Amino acid sequence: MRLSLEHIVPIPLKDKINEYNSRVWNQQLTFNSGERVFIQAPSGTGKTTLIHFLYGLRKDYEGKIHWSAFKMHEINREQLSQLRASSVSVIFQDMRLFPELTTWENIEVKRRLTNTVSEYDAEKWLDKLGVKHKADSPASKLSYGEQQRVAIVRALVQPFEWLIMDEPFSHLDYANRQRAIALIDEVATMNRAGLLLADLDDNDYFTYSRKLLL
Amino acid sequence: MKPLKQSRLVQKLLLRHRSNNRLWASLIALFAGTTLLLIAVMIWWNFSLILSGTHDNDSLGSTFLTIGKQVTDQSMGKKGASLFTPKEISTIENAPQVQDVGMLVSNRFPVYASLSVANGFSTDMFLEAVPDRFMDKQPNGWSWQEGNTQVPIILSSDFLNLYNYGFALSQNLPQLSQTTIQALAFDITIGRGLYTEQYTGRVVGFSDRISSVLVPQSFIEHGNKTFAPNVPVAPSRLILQVKDPSDKRFAEFLQMNNYTTNTEQLRWNKMRGVVDAVASGTGVLALLLMGIGTLVFILFIELTIAKAEASLSLLLQMGYSPRYLAMFMMRRFVPLIVITLLASTIVAVILQEVIAAKGTALNVTLPHLPGWPVWAALAVSAGALLAFVSRAIFKAINQEQ
Repeated sequence: MRLSLEHIVPIPLKDKINEYNSRVWNQQLTFNSGERVFIQAPSGTGKTTLIHFLYGLRKDYEGKIHWSAFKMHEINREQLSQLRASSVSVIFQDMRLFPELTTWENIEVKRRLTNTVSEYDAEKWLDKLGVKHKADSPASKLSYGEQQRVAIVRALVQPFEWLIMDEPFSHLDYANRQRAIALIDEVATMNRAGLLLADLDDNDYFTYSRKLLL
Repeated sequence: MKPLKQSRLVQKLLLRHRSNNRLWASLIALFAGTTLLLIAVMIWWNFSLILSGTHDNDSLGSTFLTIGKQVTDQSMGKKGASLFTPKEISTIENAPQVQDVGMLVSNRFPVYASLSVANGFSTDMFLEAVPDRFMDKQPNGWSWQEGNTQVPIILSSDFLNLYNYGFALSQNLPQLSQTTIQALAFDITIGRGLYTEQYTGRVVGFSDRISSVLVPQSFIEHGNKTFAPNVPVAPSRLILQVKDPSDKRFAEFLQMNNYTTNTEQLRWNKMRGVVDAVASGTGVLALLLMGIGTLVFILFIELTIAKAEASLSLLLQMGYSPRYLAMFMMRRFVPLIVITLLASTIVAVILQEVIAAKGTALNVTLPHLPGWPVWAALAVSAGALLAFVSRAIFKAINQEQ
């Protein structure tokens, strides 16, 4: 699945982005299937806004975003749900787990949507990230670090061609981050999926094909 | 770890905030509204059945009326003033609610009846005939052809009552049952002077509808042709088949033309007014209550969705389709509606059975199951309810991001 950005300009940041030289805003960009893209975004440049545009949560922008045949400015709600369920997965900066569900229920509510990943794999991945023992704990009782790891596993228990990530390791220590990176790399490779990671500082978490400054 | 059922997870997220008290309140309001609506339709429908004379309720006199011209001081002496002219008959045929008009033709020749077993009991009498389609019942042997010596007679039930409760008691005579009367054979002599004909008359049935002594039309025609060939056969009374005798326009028509009829039969007019008022009052109340019930139910759904807004929004972000979530809500709420409507239907069915049983006790035949207007009301209210509820659910879910 190819991702195209045609001169995207967020309306609330319209004046601000003209003041500096963004390599993403108001640019013509195409990301090919399987690419690994890093977007470095200093604070206040619209990193989360971009992720929300790509995931179809916001539409207050000029320009066009295409996920292959899906045109985000024309997409209807059913098509959007189809895109999210089976092509584009996301790890939000604010995790967005269901606080009233347990860890395992949070995973299951996503896994059961497509039933493409076995519960064995899901359990194994929780174990890899060290949160399997929290399976029956309510998400509201987990620490930020644990929530972030659960959110990572949740993003992986669906078929995806692109995984978009917004500061996905911000609450993780080095060891946990390395385990998370290894798992994401493994599952993305298995899916032949592209990665798009947005973060504040430059990093080499993955072998990026492109690095862009927002 | 055990795989979990998707629907249970979604239920936990979306219906966790459901208030059972509100749900019960809305379902009770809905049940009361629907039941009242069905009852209002049933009142109207059962009364219509009685009035329109279907289901063997003709003997209530709701369908057939006998009318005559009022005998006034002015018309008393005039010969033929009480007879109906062909023009008047045609006007009556076109009167409101009138479906059919039949002539009650009386004998234009002398009739003399005697009862040999009663040792000399004899009387002059009259006979009348109506077309067979106006008879409430046609007993066995109800026919006469030239050459037959037996003449079947249908007697008005009123006459027998007059005899049994008036004449017999005052004259110290034995009261007679219908079967006894039917067992007796009268000698009937028709004609005058030298030329007479002798017949044997036998009462074969009793009529609640027509206050007269009825013989087959062919017999009256034979007698009138034989003994009074030059007398015009204009009817003095007409029998009308009336769709709804309670129609005010029909009553006004009779009054305007000075026609008399059994006023008891027109009393339906007042009763119909009362029943109409009761049915419309109940109907309005039912619609109001059902509207409130539906509104409460929809508000309950909207409140449930609003309370689960965060979960709903996140489910949509996870990739759950709005249609799936709306259908999920429908699957949870529609059975409640169906059960409520079913409960109302059961009440309606039981009530109709009770009405039919009460009707039987009063000699009124009514069906044991609610008729199509009741089912139609149920179908329309169910359709409207489902439409409102599904619209509310889809609208509430589509409002979510």
